[in-house]
Amino acid sequence: MEETALTVRVHDVSMDFGSGTKAVDSARFDLETGRFLTVLGPSGSGKTTLLHMIAGFLKPTAGEITINGQPVDALPPHRRSIGMVFQKLALFPHMTAAENVAFPLKMRRWNPKGIPARVSDFLDLVKLGDYRDRRIHELSGGQQQRVAIARALVFEPELLLLDEPLAALDRKLREEMQLEFRRIQKELGVTTINVTHDQREALVVSDEIIVMDGGKIQQKATPVALYQQPANDFVAGFVGVSTFLDGSATEGGVEIQGTRCAGTHMTDIAAGTPVRGGIRAEQIRLGRSAQAVADCDTRLTGHVSDMIFEGERLLYVLNCPALPGVDIQVYYHDPDAFDLFEIGSEVHFGWRARDLRIFRAAR
Amino acid sequence: MTDVTGPEGKRRYPLRWHVMDALEGAAGVLWPRRMAPFTGWLLLAPALLLVAVLVLGMVQIAESSLHTLDRSTFLPSEDYTLENYRTVADSATYLKVIWRSLYGSFLTVVFTLILAFPYSYILVRTNSAFTRKALLVALFLPFFIGQVVRAYGWLIILGNAGLVNDALELIGVERQRLLFSFPTVVFGLVQYMLPFAVLLLAPALTAIPREVETAAGSLGANWARVLWHVVLPMARPGLIGATLVVSTLSLTDFAMPAMLGGGSQDFIANAIYDQFFRTADQGLGSALALLLVAIGSLLVGAIFAAFGAGTLAMGGRE
Repeated sequence: MEETALTVRVHDVSMDFGSGTKAVDSARFDLETGRFLTVLGPSGSGKTTLLHMIAGFLKPTAGEITINGQPVDALPPHRRSIGMVFQKLALFPHMTAAENVAFPLKMRRWNPKGIPARVSDFLDLVKLGDYRDRRIHELSGGQQQRVAIARALVFEPELLLLDEPLAALDRKLREEMQLEFRRIQKELGVTTINVTHDQREALVVSDEIIVMDGGKIQQKATPVALYQQPANDFVAGFVGVSTFLDGSATEGGVEIQGTRCAGTHMTDIAAGTPVRGGIRAEQIRLGRSAQAVADCDTRLTGHVSDMIFEGERLLYVLNCPALPGVDIQVYYHDPDAFDLFEIGSEVHFGWRARDLRIFRAAR
Repeated sequence: MTDVTGPEGKRRYPLRWHVMDALEGAAGVLWPRRMAPFTGWLLLAPALLLVAVLVLGMVQIAESSLHTLDRSTFLPSEDYTLENYRTVADSATYLKVIWRSLYGSFLTVVFTLILAFPYSYILVRTNSAFTRKALLVALFLPFFIGQVVRAYGWLIILGNAGLVNDALELIGVERQRLLFSFPTVVFGLVQYMLPFAVLLLAPALTAIPREVETAAGSLGANWARVLWHVVLPMARPGLIGATLVVSTLSLTDFAMPAMLGGGSQDFIANAIYDQFFRTADQGLGSALALLLVAIGSLLVGAIFAAFGAGTLAMGGRE
């Protein structure tokens, strides 16, 4: 077996609960040692099922999972070397923070003499050194997260799995913990698979992202590549805010109800094929006069139908007579003027051909 | 939704609202607002009244326990004496009865918990609605039968010509005398207590998230260690509650020792009954009754002292 620094190989793994569609359909990917992978998808996309199969809570109905070259399908969870942080943390309420962290060491029969020192090291790692003797209910939400991380990592697992542990936290704490996960993961170099429906979290923490939908892996890429080159309209829609234009393909663009829009074909698409174009809200230019969009390949006019203040920026929703039935979403950022366009006012907008990504209309 | 607008645009309210208004008005007259701080006491009053009556009865029993029976007149003695307590303390028979009650109740707790725990666990954790229903029905059916009828049932099943002995004969074992022995009394008590124990354990097990067990597994614990290190400690409130209920109920039980013990396996309650209704020695019966209350209270007190009332999830934090 060629031992490159490969930790996890998921080989055509499927899970069929017998409900018609497969929860996970022929998932296949490799994960290199020390990398932080996020499986991103909406609820019901099969991401949690995939994670539970890797953890050993579910047995795949087809395919094979290997960890460090070893097939693990026959191993029950307690024989796998996997640390997991659960959605609801699943800490032991009848134990202190230190006892929670010591639990896997005791269960895995570490030398009892070394356990207290190792527990202290890991509580320090997650900055909980002063809280070792607290009961779980005496800790705040963020501190409980840290106990859960320490408990999952203290026994040197080959793999760390994160099952949406941050989903229940408020936004500020969640963002803080994202960076904390990232720091600890880099410090220990542990191979990590994280599951989330939060695209921001995926972009912030990951080395690589897998986007799942309907049980299928849609794309595996680095965060930047995923953002810049989405493989299909689902990925384009799930990561970031996009406006979609449904029409038929033309040479160098798409035609929507008679309006030709300049865009880039993401695959080889023949003219006349039904396609779906997606353009990100931050890639549409907006101005009061035609001059503002002079360097755009497509230039249109429309009316502001809604304006949403998001703090650091504004989201304008535009209606355009040339693109009937489409709500065009545009991010606008001007530190000096926030109330530039009133609702109902006429605006010029446009985009460059490379920013409108055109996919085959598969769905 | 109820339509609150009448045909003439005049508001019409549902009857339920009028009833509630009337009740609220009546409550306002009977228990004016300024009495609000004492509402808690008002709600407690019925229970306190019951307990007060009970205490009065206890005082009376205590009083009569201090008079011996005059065998010539069959009237209680005039003067106060501790003679009845001395009689109990000096009697090998009564000490044996007390010891048997304690030992029997201890064994009942142990066996009941051993049987009730897996039963509750499966009841709570099963994914099959059918299994859950079947287990619940099997649990509640005995409740409808009543203790005395059930004891009669055991008399028939365990009797010398009963089902069990028929079965023993079939496999070539000699017929046994099963009834009227201590193990049979404990057996009957366990069977009687099982539903109580399950009812107290099931909520405690429901409160343990399945994910916690999964987590313990992924951290390296096999099922036995998950049970020992996680499930049992987390089920502690239920285990203690079941211990309290089963131990006090079986310590004070009357029907099982009377019927399955046939007079040879008396518990304290049977001895009290004999004094009151057979020998008509009220004084001695009262002394035994007070002794039983004292033993029971000490037992409950000891369990609370050892594990704390908080473990029953009754206020306070662990």
